[in-house]
Amino acid sequence: MKRKFDHSAPAALPNGPKYWRSLDELADTPGFREHLAREFPDGASSLEGVDRRQFMKLMAASFALGGIGLAGCRRPESHILPYGKSVEYTIPGLPLYFATAMPLRKWALPLLAETHQGRPTKLEGNPSYTPHGGASSLLAQASVLDLYDPERAVAHTKGGATLTTGQVNDLLAAIHKTYAGNGEGLAFLADQSSSPTRARLVAKLRQVYPRAVWAEYEPVQDEPPVAAAQASFGRNVRPLYRFAAAKRIVSLDADFLHSEAGALYYAREFAKGRRVVKADDDMNRLYVAESGFSLTGSMADHRLRLASNHMLALTAALANAVLETKVFAALTQGLDVNPEWIAKCAEDLRQHEGESLVVAGAHQPVQVHVLVNAINAKLGNLGKTVDFVAAEPDGASTIAALATAIKGGAVRTLVVVNGNPAYNAPADLEFGTLLKSVPDVIRFGYYADETSALAGTHLAATHYLESWGDARTVDGTIVPIQPMILPLFNGLMELELLARLAGETEAEAYTQVRTTLGGLTAGDPLKAFEKFLHDGLLENSAFPVVPVAFDPQRSAAVFAKNPAPAALSKDNLEVRFITDHKMDDGRFANNGWLQECPDPMTKISWDNAILISPRLAREMGIAPKGGLLQVARVEEADFVVGKENAHVGEVTVNGRTLRGPIHIQPGLSNYTVVVALGYGRSASGHIGTGTGCNAYAIRTSDAMGFVTGAKLVRTEQRALLANTQEHWSMEGRAIVREANLEEYHEEPAFAAALGMEAETPPLYGDMGPEELAKLSPEQRTRIAIARSTTTPRGNSLYETPDFSGEHAKFDGVHQWGMSIDLNTCIGCNACIIACQAENNIPIVGKDQVLRGREMQWIRLDRYYSDGQADAAAFGAEGNKILPEDPQVSLQPMTCQHCELAPCETVCPVNATVHDEEGINVMAYNRCIGTRYCANNCPYKVRRFNFFDFNKRALDALYMGPIGHQDDMPELVKMVKNPDVTVRMRGVMEKCTYCIQRIQQAKIAQKRQAGASGNVEIPDGTVRTACQQVCPVEAIVFGNVKDENSRVARLKAQDRNYAVLGYLNIRPRTTYLAKLRNPNPRMPDYAALPLSRVEYSRKNHPQHGEGKDAKPEHGGEHA
Amino acid sequence: MSSHSADTDAPAILAEVNPAPVPRRVLVANHRDFHWITEKVCGIVESKTPLWWWWCFGVAAFVASFTVAGLTYLVATGVGVWGHANPVNWAWDIVNFVFWIGIGHAGTLISAILCLLRQKWRTSINRPAEAMTIFAVVCAAIFPVFHVGRIWFAVLPGFLFPFPNANGIWQNFRSPLEWDVFAVSTYGTVSVLFWYIGLIPDLGTMRDRFTAAGNLLKARIYGFFAMGWRGSNRAWSNYEMAYLILAGIATPLVLSVHTVVSFDFAVALIPGWHTTIFPPYFVAGAIFSGFGMVMTLMLPLRAIYRLEDLITQYHIDCMCKITLATGTMVGYAYSMEFFIAWYGANPFEGFTFINRAFGVYWWSYWIMVTCNVVTPQFFWFKKVRENTTLVWILCLFVNVGMWFERFVIIATSLARDFLPSSWGYYSPSIVEIFTFFGTFGVFSVLFLLFIRFVPVMPMSEIKAVIPQADPHGADHHHGAAALESQA
Repeated sequence: MKRKFDHSAPAALPNGPKYWRSLDELADTPGFREHLAREFPDGASSLEGVDRRQFMKLMAASFALGGIGLAGCRRPESHILPYGKSVEYTIPGLPLYFATAMPLRKWALPLLAETHQGRPTKLEGNPSYTPHGGASSLLAQASVLDLYDPERAVAHTKGGATLTTGQVNDLLAAIHKTYAGNGEGLAFLADQSSSPTRARLVAKLRQVYPRAVWAEYEPVQDEPPVAAAQASFGRNVRPLYRFAAAKRIVSLDADFLHSEAGALYYAREFAKGRRVVKADDDMNRLYVAESGFSLTGSMADHRLRLASNHMLALTAALANAVLETKVFAALTQGLDVNPEWIAKCAEDLRQHEGESLVVAGAHQPVQVHVLVNAINAKLGNLGKTVDFVAAEPDGASTIAALATAIKGGAVRTLVVVNGNPAYNAPADLEFGTLLKSVPDVIRFGYYADETSALAGTHLAATHYLESWGDARTVDGTIVPIQPMILPLFNGLMELELLARLAGETEAEAYTQVRTTLGGLTAGDPLKAFEKFLHDGLLENSAFPVVPVAFDPQRSAAVFAKNPAPAALSKDNLEVRFITDHKMDDGRFANNGWLQECPDPMTKISWDNAILISPRLAREMGIAPKGGLLQVARVEEADFVVGKENAHVGEVTVNGRTLRGPIHIQPGLSNYTVVVALGYGRSASGHIGTGTGCNAYAIRTSDAMGFVTGAKLVRTEQRALLANTQEHWSMEGRAIVREANLEEYHEEPAFAAALGMEAETPPLYGDMGPEELAKLSPEQRTRIAIARSTTTPRGNSLYETPDFSGEHAKFDGVHQWGMSIDLNTCIGCNACIIACQAENNIPIVGKDQVLRGREMQWIRLDRYYSDGQADAAAFGAEGNKILPEDPQVSLQPMTCQHCELAPCETVCPVNATVHDEEGINVMAYNRCIGTRYCANNCPYKVRRFNFFDFNKRALDALYMGPIGHQDDMPELVKMVKNPDVTVRMRGVMEKCTYCIQRIQQAKIAQKRQAGASGNVEIPDGTVRTACQQVCPVEAIVFGNVKDENSRVARLKAQDRNYAVLGYLNIRPRTTYLAKLRNPNPRMPDYAALPLSRVEYSRKNHPQHGEGKDAKPEHGGEHA
Repeated sequence: MSSHSADTDAPAILAEVNPAPVPRRVLVANHRDFHWITEKVCGIVESKTPLWWWWCFGVAAFVASFTVAGLTYLVATGVGVWGHANPVNWAWDIVNFVFWIGIGHAGTLISAILCLLRQKWRTSINRPAEAMTIFAVVCAAIFPVFHVGRIWFAVLPGFLFPFPNANGIWQNFRSPLEWDVFAVSTYGTVSVLFWYIGLIPDLGTMRDRFTAAGNLLKARIYGFFAMGWRGSNRAWSNYEMAYLILAGIATPLVLSVHTVVSFDFAVALIPGWHTTIFPPYFVAGAIFSGFGMVMTLMLPLRAIYRLEDLITQYHIDCMCKITLATGTMVGYAYSMEFFIAWYGANPFEGFTFINRAFGVYWWSYWIMVTCNVVTPQFFWFKKVRENTTLVWILCLFVNVGMWFERFVIIATSLARDFLPSSWGYYSPSIVEIFTFFGTFGVFSVLFLLFIRFVPVMPMSEIKAVIPQADPHGADHHHGAAALESQA
């Protein structure tokens, strides 16, 4: 009972007849009086089994949301209201989509959030933002899980006591009162942001507190230094690359496909230049010089392993060659690279003036960037493949300056806005200790983390899905951040915090954003704001392109003092700090989806590792040795009974030591040790605490990207790493089929000529060799392609059943199929997490991953090849050595929906069957879990629920009936997609082609068709989660029966092939073979992709180098 | 016992050719008579329970509790308590299933096929071999039933067992696992029936003896199971016919069960599983392991109960020779698999077999070859066959080897199949190990109960093969006429 109302009797009875409404009233019973006084019926507040408060909150959130998205404004009430009146457009059971954006450092990803009854469950890229075309990233996909993290900060606290919202406001008002007008003793430390509103509020703060310190710190610098542009062009500009227009690309330690700012934007552009549709299409060529092994490096046509420290020398040498000068000769001292490599690369660039592009990693020193600008200017690329756009002036102080101020005792009140400096500040600042010396630290953050532990006051931040805000994309377009749900835990929005500190009277974040937008739009501000929210972006708000010219005189000043390349060796190692693929800088540490997602190169989940090159491993004596007889290639690390049993090592640099497991990573620069940031959190939560090692411990402010002079010592300890791929070699099997572009031009159907199926007579249907010979090459190609998808094979014991006519098996209107382009796939893992979010896939924890029980429906297979596999010389030396310089082939692998599915025939209970539209469907209710299907799946893509992963906590999986059987917290359940069954233990599961999306589209089409009976869904309506997220459009799904559908046209390409096609199981998912585009003039040119060399050696050993090797075959990689 | 007498007055040219009579081996040594046999066999049941039995029973029950505990934990917690994972989704569970089912084969082979082939030496060993079959099937059935993810559905009618239902959902009759359900349940049923039918005359004897001894409770119990056996001519006549029919039904089962079990693998497409040699190879292996187990059980039993007169050296010889023959067949199959893998020119297939022998699981392959191919070769030597202890030890090796054969086939093929990216390594969990270990306890408990309460040998059948059972007397028994009449 909320409250009792006091119905006082009227002072005097009015004259006239007395009316009564019920006999009870007439009788005036005590029960009636009670009833009258109560707000709610008796017992309403003690309902069992339903968390009424939560329920009401959600309902209210839904109600509020309806208002937000549609009316464009949010109801300011925060009362509990019943869901008595339906929100406009809400149809129970159907999701609603709202535009928002995910901010990260200086750029944001425009998103569409899928909400079910006011509960965001899934994020998609906002298709209105054309450069992303509806794609999004791994981190964006996983960020929805953070919203429902039960370990997020759920209350404002001060000295352990909880603060109410009112108390927080008082606290902020008190700061304002104390410091307003002066600000002496007040300091702010914030993360970077692209929000125009925040910029406006920060300017306001500066006015209010003129002497306060406003410092910004990001542990990861993902944009080229501003100083480089200043030095090159004399303007405050930053580059915006146009990869689609670039035919020749040189990346100097720049992982522009993944970790640089705008990676999604660039990956999409890059794929446009990479995509090949017709046999005579050209594609871009990528040169990569790098110390680690990045995703960009894995796409390289020519990859040079070079220490980050030597990158300046290489850039200088390249600049000399391109500019045809010797000006930078001094800089090239100590560079140990084949000069031919640089000369031919430069030659290739010069031949493509205006359509080439050189980029350098953000962590590289200013000199490198200036040289790169010089090269691009010389090549005429400015304004063509690279634009420079106006950058906003950055007036923020640095964390180092702040640290000095704190040491000087000049800071009495420190407000830490987001970030986590106690964890990730440069080690030399010892920021944790400094924090303790500040009398009043107010921490505003999403998690109660390492910094919060040292702060007296913690203010709980809202998730961006609960916040009002705005942000800019990498090209500067302003995008809205609008809440999908009322703050679940009464958190505070960042903009409101700043507005209150700035003393704004209308401090609500919503008002602040509207104010900002009002200043940017013309016309009716409300309509403009509504359109802004509806579209999810503000049109024409991108940064303007600034015409620039390279200024050699000005830039010369940069080279006054140059870092000298260090002579690296086993005793003088370079340590390269990289942004982690999943944890980023550590902010996503408590996200289970991301922790469990394997790193795309190392395939390690739940950990980072000290990555070392095979050569260093050999010199340190920790390289695994192959036995006398080696059937398969030696694993890249010590696998003991299927678990990577890594040596624990200690990296010492400048007296600071990092201890962590060592993983041998082929493809690294010999004496570069790579460590990913973002792990080793000490106060993160159940998921994030204790995973990996904290690389910030050895990272100092003068060497944020890489540092030399490190030593690595191996200890006697071992640590287990949850590596999801134990074997690195393709073993000469035609799994990922590749060719060089030249070969493809000559033999477009090369993919069909590989693998077992190419050797078997039934290849061309019932046709004999004579009949075949009469056909034109085009016809032969056509047949060869069709063989794995449509043509029944004859002349075989295993003749394909005839499905036509009365035996029709696939008689549905649609026949679903998928095409995956291996040529554009960059291995970013976004599909894995998108699938996990869409399909309610549980995480299983490190222990279960170690046992090989990860549940992700999509697996990204990563193979290294060095051209050495040699089964004929069984036990040969080639089988025992880890490649130092391998080529990488990536392949997303998931259920292939075989038409003659081997899993279906063996299931005793008919739990996995085919539908008439060609989908291999799982009946979870029917499955008893014999796991026979998983055994018989040649792709091993079926996943089994060995425990109640959806119900039991990760540490209680083995507890059985005696363990605590508490269900997952309600909060965790809220992220589940209501359209997809949550599987229980003992049930097999696998990719369904997102059948829930197909069904919804079919229902919608059926309703739309009405009497016309046209139930065929238009092409492109159904997009699987993996397809939708894919930044490079490698995955295409659709109706293969419709010859004009995108997927059917892709499958008609000559690069189309089915993995393990020889089994005649006719998978509906087929792949487009990978192409490489090496430069024949380069010294490391190989006429065949190395995996093809392995294939030829394994399958045609009598032909020496292999039947496909061309005479000009240029030897192995250096 | 050679009693061939040449007639010196015969003409130079024989009126008819009398082939040299083959001396028939004695099946019961030392001229034991009917009464001695009855006393000997019934004595085991009637005597006071020996102390060793209690000890053995206690230990066996304790060991069996491991299986009970392991399975309880498994059902309560999830299949994850075992070591399975992608890509090895079957391992010890199915290995143990095939292992135990294989052991069961000797029983039916001895009872049915040898019965039809009139191999009279089978009589001394068929009862315990059949009991062994049934108990092995019990142990075997544990694994496929419990290895599933949701046992509570698996045992419901309508899931694995066909049952009419409103949804019209039927089993997948194309699935070898479904065939297994039928094959194993049929085999189990027929084995029990066969065993029980054979027991009836002996149960009648037991009843009569207990009645005579005044132990009416036991007499009633045995009487109940003897189904009113009176030993009349008509009863014997019907009995013999029933036994023969059951032998006829059981004979194809000997071949079919393990053939169907082998289909679990042969029908799949995994390299190393997908081979047509599996049915005969599995059957041979099953008989091989079955005889190994029969000897493992019978030799101690023979020694403890002084049954040397009933289980003679001749019996041991016969069993050793069958073990040798089937072991060699298995060895042939191993080599033929390699040949076909090479001859078939399928690189996936070729890799699988090289990997078996030299890959990560090489040790299991070489244990298998040593135990299954090398061990039985010792049985070529009479000296070895006559050394009961040595025979027993060799039989233990056979049992171990056959377990490893199933492990090699199942685990190594799955661990490294088509796509190297999903290659893995399987190792069992402690729960799995103890659950399997416990099944030996389950088996022993059942077997100990069997030797304590059931006549361990078919008295009536043994009596039929001793000379006294020949109505024409010993004179003709070994003569040409006797041979003719037998033919």
